[in-house]
Amino acid sequence: MILFFLTSGLFLGWSLGANDASNIFGSAVCSRIVTFRKAAVIASVFVILGAVIQGGGTSQTLGKLGSVNALGGSFTLALVSAVTVYIMTKFALPVSTTQAIVGAIIGWNFFTGNQTDGKTLTQIVLTWISGPVIGAAFAILLFMVLRRFKRSAQIHLIRFESYIRNGLIVVGAFGAYSLGANNIANVMGVFVPAFNLQEIDIGLFSLSSSQQLFLLGGLAIAFGIITYSKRVMETVGSSIIELSSEAALVVVLAQALVLFIFSSSGLSSILTSIGLPPIPMVPISSSQVIIGCVIGIGLYKGARNINFKILGEIAGGWLATPVLSGLLTFFSLFFMKNIFSLNVGYKTDTRAPDDLNNIIATGAASDMSDIIKYLLLGLLITGTLVIIFFYFLDRKKQFELRKSEEKFWKNIK
Amino acid sequence: MTVFTRTTKNLILKIDEFFDNIELGLLVFKEGIKSYLLNDMEAFAIHIQKIESLESNADRLQRSIENEMITHSILPQHRAEVSSLIEELDEIIDSMKGSLNEFNIEMPDIPSSLNNNLINITEFSVSAAEELIPAARAYFKSPHTVREKLLKVYYYESETDTFSRSTRKIIFQDMKELDLAHKAHLRYIIHHIERISDLAQEAADLLSAMAIKIVM
Repeated sequence: MILFFLTSGLFLGWSLGANDASNIFGSAVCSRIVTFRKAAVIASVFVILGAVIQGGGTSQTLGKLGSVNALGGSFTLALVSAVTVYIMTKFALPVSTTQAIVGAIIGWNFFTGNQTDGKTLTQIVLTWISGPVIGAAFAILLFMVLRRFKRSAQIHLIRFESYIRNGLIVVGAFGAYSLGANNIANVMGVFVPAFNLQEIDIGLFSLSSSQQLFLLGGLAIAFGIITYSKRVMETVGSSIIELSSEAALVVVLAQALVLFIFSSSGLSSILTSIGLPPIPMVPISSSQVIIGCVIGIGLYKGARNINFKILGEIAGGWLATPVLSGLLTFFSLFFMKNIFSLNVGYKTDTRAPDDLNNIIATGAASDMSDIIKYLLLGLLITGTLVIIFFYFLDRKKQFELRKSEEKFWKNIK
Repeated sequence: MTVFTRTTKNLILKIDEFFDNIELGLLVFKEGIKSYLLNDMEAFAIHIQKIESLESNADRLQRSIENEMITHSILPQHRAEVSSLIEELDEIIDSMKGSLNEFNIEMPDIPSSLNNNLINITEFSVSAAEELIPAARAYFKSPHTVREKLLKVYYYESETDTFSRSTRKIIFQDMKELDLAHKAHLRYIIHHIERISDLAQEAADLLSAMAIKIVM
C-alpha cells in the first residue's frame, strides 16, 4: 500500500528526469560530443547522489510551507502536480514542477485549514525570479572569463574543443548532482513529513527515513533519464545546440551553480557565520534558469532583440502553474476524502505528533526499509556489472575501429 | 580521457603535417616551373616526382583527418567547415600536380621572351597560396588574426590577374610571329598557373567566413 501511495511521486520523478536531463546534457548529446548512453549513466548516478546527499534543505523549505501529514494527501499532491505539468505541457505552456508542487501544497493548506507561511512563500517566489537573473549573471561572468582565457592562451581549436568536451562531462555531472539536490524536494518533499521509515545502516553509510525516500525519488528520476530523456533531448535540445560549445558549457555550469547554491545548506551556513543573510533552500526550475543563462550570453554578445514574449510566458507560468495546481489539489483532495474516504491530512495543531507517527504502521515501514536495503545492494552489483560490460564493449569497438583503419590504408597502398 | 588526449594530439599533428605538405608543394611547384622555363628537364622530372608524393601524402592526410573527426566526433560544430577548408587546400596541391604534369605531357613551347612574365605570374600566384597557409594555421590558434593575414592573399591574387592579363595581351597583340594554336596553348598554360591564386582566393573567402563565425 505504501508503494502504491508513492507511485504518484515516482511518476513525478520520472517526468522530471525525462524533461530536465535535456537541460544538462541536451546540447552535448545533440552535438554528439557525448553519447546518450554515457550521458544517461553519468546523469543518473549523480542525480541520485545529489538527491540523497544534499536533498534535505529544499525539502525542509517545502515542509515549512505546508507539512503534508498523511500519505493520502502526499499521494494526491504529487499526482495533481504531475497532472498539472502534463496539462500545461499539452497546451505548450511553460511549466515547472516546482511551481506545480508549491501550488499543490498551498491548495492542501486551504483544504485542511492549515495556514500558509507567508514568509516562506515570499522567499520561494522571490527565488523563482532571482534564479534566472542570477543564472544570467553567472553565465555572463563565466563566458567573459572563458573567452578571455581562450584568446590569451591561444590554445589549438581542437585541443580547446577537447577540453570543452571533457568539461561538459564534468559540468554535466555537477549539473545532475545539483538537479538531484535541488529538485528532489519536488518529487519526494511532500512525502517526507508523512513517512517515518527505519534507518538503514550499511556500515559505510546510513540512510535516514527522508534519505531513503530521496533515494527512491532519485531512482525514479534516473529511470526517467534512461527511458525517455533521449526523445526530449532530440526534440528540445536543438534550442540549446545552436549555442557554441563553450556557450553550452557556460550555460550548463551557470545553471548547475544556481541549483547548487539554492540547495547547499553548507554554503548557507558559511554565509551566516560571516554575518551575511542565509541562502534560502528552495527548489527552482532548471529550465527557467537555463533560459536566464541563454539570455545572459545573448546580452553579453550584444543582442538587442531579447524575446520579451518568452520572458512574459515564464512570468505567466509563475502565476498560472501554482494557481491551476492549487485549484486542482483542492478539488482532488475533496474527492479523495469524501468519495474514497482517504485520510488526506489534518490541521497541524489538532493532532499530537505521536498520532502522526502512527499513520504508517511500524511493520510496513520496516518492510519498506528492507526493500530499499536490498534494492541498494542490487543496484550496486548491477551498476558494477554494467560498468565492466561497457568498458569491455568500448575496448572492443576501439580495437575494431583501429583494425578497419589499418585494413583501409593497407588496401589503398 | 587518455584516448581523447591521444586522438587530439594526433589530429593536431596531422593537420600541421597537411599544411606543411601544401607549403612544400608550393615551393616545389615554383621550382618546377622555373626548371622547365630554364630547360633543366632533369630537375623538372625530380620536381614532378616530389609533388606527386606530396599530393598523395596530402590526400592520405585529408582522408585520415576527416575520418578521425567523424569517428571521434571532434569539432562537431565546425567539422564541415574544417573539412571544406582542407578540401580546398587539397585542391590547390592537386591543381599544382596537374599543371606540372600537363607541362610534362604537352611540353609547351614558351618563347624565352616570356620567361620573366611566366616566372612573375608563378611567383605571385604561389605567394597568394603561401599567404593562405599561415592564415589557415591561425584559424586554429588565434582566429581573430585570420582576416588581417588574408589581406595578402587577396593582394597577390589581384597582382596575378594583372600580370596574367598583361602577358596574354603581349601574346595575342605583340607576338605576331606565333600562330593562333600556339597562342591559345600559351593562354591555357597561363590559365593553369593563375588557377592556383584563384583557388587560394576561394579558400580565403571560406576561411574568412569561418573566422567570423568562430570569433562571434
